[in-house]
Amino acid sequence: MSASFTKSTARNIFYGGAVFFFLLFVALTLDTVQALPKRDNRANLTEQVARGKKLWEVNNCIGCHTLLGEGAYFAPELGNVYQRRGPEFIKAWIKAQPTGAPGRRQMPNFHLNDAELDDLVAFLKYSSEINTNNWPPNIEG
Amino acid sequence: MNTAAPGLVAPPRVPGDLAMWFFILAELAVFGIFFAVYGVARQRDAALFAAGQAQLLLWPALINTLLLIAGSATVAAAVRAFAANLVAAGRRYLLATLLLGGGFVLLKGWEFAGKFAAGITLSSSDFWMFYLSLTFFHFLHVILGLVIVAAVYLNARRGAYDAANHDGVETAAAYWHMVDLVWVVLFALVYVAH
Amino acid sequence: MTSSAMATARSASVSAAANDPLTNVQLKYRSQAVAKPYFVAAIGLFVGQIVFGLIMGLQYVIGDFLFPAIPFNVARMVHTNLLIVWLLFGFMGAGYFLIPEESERELHSPKLALITFWVFLVAGALTIVGYLAVPYATLAKITGNDLLPTMGREFLEQPTITKIGIVLVALSFLFNLSMTVLKGRKTSISMVMMLGLWGLAIFFLFSFYNPDNLVLDKYFWWWVVHLWVEGVWELIMGAMLAFVLVKVTGIDREIIEKWLYVIIAMTLISGIIGTGHHYFWIGAPAYWQVWGSVFSALEPIPFFMMTLFAFNVVNKRRREHPNKAAVLWALGTGVMAFLGAGVWGFLHTLAPVNYLTHGTQITASHGHMAFYGAYAMVVMTMISYAMPLMRGREANSNAAQVVEMWSFWLMTVAMVFITLFLTAAGILQVWMQRMGDTPLSFMATQDKIAFFYWLRELSGVVFFIGLLLYIVSFFVRGNERASA
Repeated sequence: MSASFTKSTARNIFYGGAVFFFLLFVALTLDTVQALPKRDNRANLTEQVARGKKLWEVNNCIGCHTLLGEGAYFAPELGNVYQRRGPEFIKAWIKAQPTGAPGRRQMPNFHLNDAELDDLVAFLKYSSEINTNNWPPNIEG
Repeated sequence: MNTAAPGLVAPPRVPGDLAMWFFILAELAVFGIFFAVYGVARQRDAALFAAGQAQLLLWPALINTLLLIAGSATVAAAVRAFAANLVAAGRRYLLATLLLGGGFVLLKGWEFAGKFAAGITLSSSDFWMFYLSLTFFHFLHVILGLVIVAAVYLNARRGAYDAANHDGVETAAAYWHMVDLVWVVLFALVYVAH
Repeated sequence: MTSSAMATARSASVSAAANDPLTNVQLKYRSQAVAKPYFVAAIGLFVGQIVFGLIMGLQYVIGDFLFPAIPFNVARMVHTNLLIVWLLFGFMGAGYFLIPEESERELHSPKLALITFWVFLVAGALTIVGYLAVPYATLAKITGNDLLPTMGREFLEQPTITKIGIVLVALSFLFNLSMTVLKGRKTSISMVMMLGLWGLAIFFLFSFYNPDNLVLDKYFWWWVVHLWVEGVWELIMGAMLAFVLVKVTGIDREIIEKWLYVIIAMTLISGIIGTGHHYFWIGAPAYWQVWGSVFSALEPIPFFMMTLFAFNVVNKRRREHPNKAAVLWALGTGVMAFLGAGVWGFLHTLAPVNYLTHGTQITASHGHMAFYGAYAMVVMTMISYAMPLMRGREANSNAAQVVEMWSFWLMTVAMVFITLFLTAAGILQVWMQRMGDTPLSFMATQDKIAFFYWLRELSGVVFFIGLLLYIVSFFVRGNERASA
């Protein structure tokens, strides 16, 4: 029985392991990309939804809210807000901001016009129909 | 991981390189957790798993088991041969391991081809997800094991090993035994146990 | 450990300063000095990060604080972006300091390093000013986001032109270091460092991929975020820690380097597929719940090994380095990275748990301690070791080290409490909002856990005091020099 612990073996395991698991990750990613059409609601990914996503981004909504659980944790989850509140409430709410209620968390007014509000709601509707394996656990997000 | 500490003090006493044993332990941990999760999932939906298992062919898996065990025997024989300074025999045993492992890859590849042709993917059902995840993950390990043994074989052809120095062979053998061990458990769990 | 370290530092001060060999220590390579502005900038931006953290912490409990001047989303963007940028400054400074010494030659181009520094600092400052001065949508318009929309995603809020600037800065930096390594000695530490830095640049390129498809967007967003913090950044961290440990312990580099390889091998084995723990609920296939849980369950192991390793080499040290503060930072990095990234990560990484905790204050608690413990602390370890050398001495005076150690403990303990209070808030949030038959709404829940947000803010103030003390430690002169 010999006994050793060499840097060269440790190095080979590092490089070999890194390549092995990265390739495996790429393989799983390829499978994911092929499986996504059945899950990611791309059938409803219209031009309007794409415009809504841009609005979502350039107003930095993720800086306060979460979307499918990712983002900041300062304001409610919006991945299911379409089901929780419905389109009319969402639009009215965005238009009514900020509430100005003293001491309450404030949302800025983003000066969106009616067409833009419709785009944003379309994006939220599309997002809410993605197959998220039943997340969030309940309607409160 | 407590082994990390003594490693700095006393020389480790394992066959092959200690670094490989860290890798082996990590791999065994991954497979161990994977098997445990499989067990839980199977218990929660026994009918689905039984139906899936019924569609698996036992004989290729059995042959594959024998191929891997034979590979373990030849790689162990290679270590003994190098230890006895029988380097030519050692090289032949390493080659035998490569051939046996290659047989596994071919047979397993044929099994996968059939499943893919039948449209089975990771998303088909819980059973097929586990079947594909476990067997394909292990399949990649066989290939990695072959790469390691092949590297050792090439070194051996250059005359790198003898009775005084054959750590590399032991290191490769340790990895191959791990791949073999995992397969035996996998075979029992996925193909045999009902 | 501290009190003893401090006691040693104090008793060490008895040694006379008269013919002290430490008074005029030269850098091994003069060009290493370019690291200094990087470290100074890093600390400055760190202060900015904490100021905005305190603002946000207050906005959690006094919702309209500073509204509409600084809405929460702006404060958060500044807070997280400053964190990323100061860590990048720290990594770059570490690279400029460590690579010449490892390569045993001067830096390829110190001039380029200084130009890169000013470009990066000005671009970074302009971006932050942009965040604060105009509404984000206006910033997007001015910077031409429409041409290549990449803005408005968490942590990647930078205008596209800033992102392009980051790539150019990274390329200049990598070119400079790679040329140095290629022409000099190649050590394991420098190879791991370079691999980490190149990986950082390469994975950042995924920030330019922003498809309309939200699931694809999120899936590859993690190729930047996860493969940075739970992948290539850990290589950088390992290399930095190994470098400092070689220097302060005098242990044979062969031993340190082989353990470095084993530890980072474990990191990538668990961490690459571990990305799957982000793919549970964003539309990716369900099998990621199994793959992500299995692999990320192993992610604490490399952190645990790193802690054991750091303590072992320090215990078996072959020399008494006069810079006790650097040793303390190195050991602290190991412990806090293990707690923050390892333990707090594991707490909510398994899919059945994560189903309830995803996107709550639990995530925030983990994020705070992990970033501080792994990355903020490793950068401060490097600064603690390198800064005295760049100022012409092997270690700071005893008095300065005592202040630095106080800052270490204040910041570290404060961060532990921030984490604990956020964890408590998170547990209650999950309980009230996601469990039971009559879940409360998000905002109703937030009101009920405000107490813990106050405690968090209080801990944040202590952290800030620690940070100020840290800065003070650079200006403490002290008559007596520390020695072994």
